[in-house]
Amino acid sequence: MIRVGSGKVGKPIKWSYLLGRTVLFIVLTALLIVFMLPVYGVIVTSFKSVAEVSTSGYWNLPQSLNLANFIKVLNPDDGNLGLYLKNSLLLTIPASVFSIALGTLAGYGLAKYSFNGNAALFVFMVAGMFLPPQIALIPIFRLMNDIGLYDTLWAVIIIHTAFGIPICTLIMRNFFYTVPNALREAALIDGANDYGIFVRIMLPLTRPALAVLATLQFTWIWNDFLWPFILTQRADSRTVMVGILNLTGQYSVDWGGQAAASFVASLPTLVIFIFFQRYFIRGLTVGAVKG
Amino acid sequence: MYKRYKWIVPATFLFLPVTVYLAFVIIPTLNSLFYSFTDWAGYGADFDLIWLDNFARIFTDRLFSNAIKNTATWLALAMSVPTLAGLCLALALQGKNAVNTAYKSLFYLPIALSPIIVGIIWVWIYSPQLGIVNLTLKAIGQEHLARAWLANPDTALIAVFVAWAWQQTGLNMVIFLAGLTSVPVPLVEAARVDGANYWQTLRRVTIPMLRPATVVVMALTAINALKSFEVIWVMTKGGPFNSSDTLAVFMYSESFRKYKMGYGSSIAVVLFLMTLIIIVLYFRQTAAAEELYD
Repeated sequence: MIRVGSGKVGKPIKWSYLLGRTVLFIVLTALLIVFMLPVYGVIVTSFKSVAEVSTSGYWNLPQSLNLANFIKVLNPDDGNLGLYLKNSLLLTIPASVFSIALGTLAGYGLAKYSFNGNAALFVFMVAGMFLPPQIALIPIFRLMNDIGLYDTLWAVIIIHTAFGIPICTLIMRNFFYTVPNALREAALIDGANDYGIFVRIMLPLTRPALAVLATLQFTWIWNDFLWPFILTQRADSRTVMVGILNLTGQYSVDWGGQAAASFVASLPTLVIFIFFQRYFIRGLTVGAVKG
Repeated sequence: MYKRYKWIVPATFLFLPVTVYLAFVIIPTLNSLFYSFTDWAGYGADFDLIWLDNFARIFTDRLFSNAIKNTATWLALAMSVPTLAGLCLALALQGKNAVNTAYKSLFYLPIALSPIIVGIIWVWIYSPQLGIVNLTLKAIGQEHLARAWLANPDTALIAVFVAWAWQQTGLNMVIFLAGLTSVPVPLVEAARVDGANYWQTLRRVTIPMLRPATVVVMALTAINALKSFEVIWVMTKGGPFNSSDTLAVFMYSESFRKYKMGYGSSIAVVLFLMTLIIIVLYFRQTAAAEELYD
């Protein structure tokens, strides 16, 4: 086991090293299989009818790739998931765009201008990230009732925009901080004003940071349940995560239907996860790497 | 250049985000404090200021102390199980190769799922007749251990916690992996050359160097644990007999099912104060860590 890289390693040590790696690999693989069982269960069950589930159980492979469950959950007269998916999209896209836009403005203002209280304002803006949503639940429920937005997607869009500002400000501020000031000064000498610099020089540079935020915000807002659960009521304004919970009541014995609905509802974030994993992970680890 | 100019330009950038943030995050938060001093029922404009009555009441409410107890259990489990599991996975999967990359992706895949979906899936796993847990126990001849995990007050909280931890572990692994990339390789190699074996290097070099990542993981996990609502709501709604009723769930059911919004606000304030303690501890720790490394 010892001094693997030192060059004075004899054969027995190499063997034990290899043995250690093999054992580790086997343990990890076993763990991974257990860890992935829930995902496997959803996928196989989504192709099974109620009858098939009761005869062959949830965990066996399906007899055929039967799409009936998917057709059923998307049917407006049955699961109506199509409407909920549309609502989720109509909520998630604007809320992501607005929160990122506001975060970009705030991040730029905080990173590139020194004024009294800059550091304090930055801490204040980012602190909201740690707030438990429960603390604002009741006042926002009341506020949305008072301004007539209760039971509309706009209520949820506004809240996700506002609650997204801390993380977007943090990431954008840290990003702009790394952009050399010389860039701004050179443009100032060329006669550009502050806003021209922001739009023409700074914004085009932000693409990597925007990619990080877009994946993060889309995933969080799409997956969120608590806010739409509190702020909407009718089917017309129901998001997919709220809708799916209602379906578990409607399909209480129909696990195939539940599985198909779960699979469809998770597809957008899974696709993002698969294709933009790099950005997703970078966003999750913001502030984690220090020292 | 006028001195005024110094703040007018940044103000134009900051005005809109700060206004939205104040209006929909900060003011509602402060408003919650106000409602916690009232007996508002959730509809109508009528309520009385009852000052600390809500807080006096929660400390005699058996359901509140039950929720505190469950939250403490939940927090203690959260601080240990998914953090340790995340650390072990990160240590096992550090280093770039095809197998590690693929395994890492799969271990953090649950992060991409909604807690609602996680809850739905784990309800099936615990199903008394067809769930994989009881089927496995049967298959290995331990059928006497099989039970209705979510319907049993002794096991409901732990069972829901496992589902939550399934998702949290991947997140912790990601943060530990990021922390590991900042552990200087020469330091680890020097320890090896000096004759330290893997476990000694781990204990004396790697783990101490992971301190900043550990602080982040601990703080994030604690904050997430305190506010977690969805998984519990989907799986048990806090039951059976309030055995999985944490503060977050209790706050929701008192406010939005029993329409005791003033009372619910005071529960939210308690939850908020608990989060605040963690945040203060966290900033102290990071400040201490920065001092240590500077």
